[in-house]
Amino acid sequence: MKITVRAFADYREIIGKEMELIDPEGKTIRELLAELGDRYPKLRSEMFTPAGELKEFINIFINGRNIAFLNDMATPLADGDIVALFPPVAGG
Amino acid sequence: MVRRNETMAEYNIDRYQRQITLLGDEGQERLRRARVLVAGVGGLGTIVAADLAAAGMGFLRLADNDRVELSNLNRQLLFRPDDIGREKSLAAMERLRILNPEIQVEGIHQTIDNETIHELVKDIDLIVDAMDNFAARFILNKAAFSRRLPLIHGAVRGFFGQATTLIPEKTGCLQCFFTGNPPREIIPILGATCGVIGSVQATETIKVLTGRGEPLANRLFFWDGRTGEGTVIDTKRNPRCIICGSG
Repeated sequence: MKITVRAFADYREIIGKEMELIDPEGKTIRELLAELGDRYPKLRSEMFTPAGELKEFINIFINGRNIAFLNDMATPLADGDIVALFPPVAGG
Repeated sequence: MVRRNETMAEYNIDRYQRQITLLGDEGQERLRRARVLVAGVGGLGTIVAADLAAAGMGFLRLADNDRVELSNLNRQLLFRPDDIGREKSLAAMERLRILNPEIQVEGIHQTIDNETIHELVKDIDLIVDAMDNFAARFILNKAAFSRRLPLIHGAVRGFFGQATTLIPEKTGCLQCFFTGNPPREIIPILGATCGVIGSVQATETIKVLTGRGEPLANRLFFWDGRTGEGTVIDTKRNPRCIICGSG
């Protein structure tokens, strides 16, 4: 299974623009982010509270859909999925 | 408080010569007839409004409840130091009137809420989302989708910005993609970031109104000024969206 992770803004500074994960250990977005957090502790502290909860308003899209409207952190991953991570951008 | 300029100079087509080669006479005529609401006259709204006024948009309504502050002047290019304390919508209206006396501009000093939105969008063809918070954006979104009006979304923070074009029945709406209202904070913003995203929004507005080009429909443009890179993410409707789907 191959998953592509595309990072934006603050997260791009930490993990780079794009990475491919071949056969990630986990099968859900939660497990994928945990694996990324192990590799990049700074990403974990940017995205998660000390209690391990995803911080509010962070946008995680799988194939163009926000996981908040899928199965949230339990959303399963499939071969070829593109995961996009970007922080809230709200100013005007 | 509503003020409008009623004294319109004649619409001189020669003024738009350099873009008519791009949009055609018919495209320019569509802009002349178009009525656009620019919601928010801050960092994004001032850029979008100036671009659209110069391009000959026939009618611009500018809505904002804020007054000009000194700290706005790093990015809100329509305002000058002597505007400090004035209503943004009215100061911007005056400035646009000088920039292009051939179009009609209306400034409305008002908070956009679930009540006021109805009057603001009543006779409008397209809404530009230049707000600074998602609570107000969702009000615009709901109005746009219930009235089937295109909504041109833009938002900025620091070196970063995003924009997408939302078209009822063709794309998802803002609530298909974004969840909540991040707390209002003092958001770092570079004027030049507003320039990028505001100009993308103005381009999208002109494309949607004239039918030229390919709008950012079902696509989210993300601008990273830190690295100087733009990226487009394909987006998909939420079929169970509370606003544009089955709920």
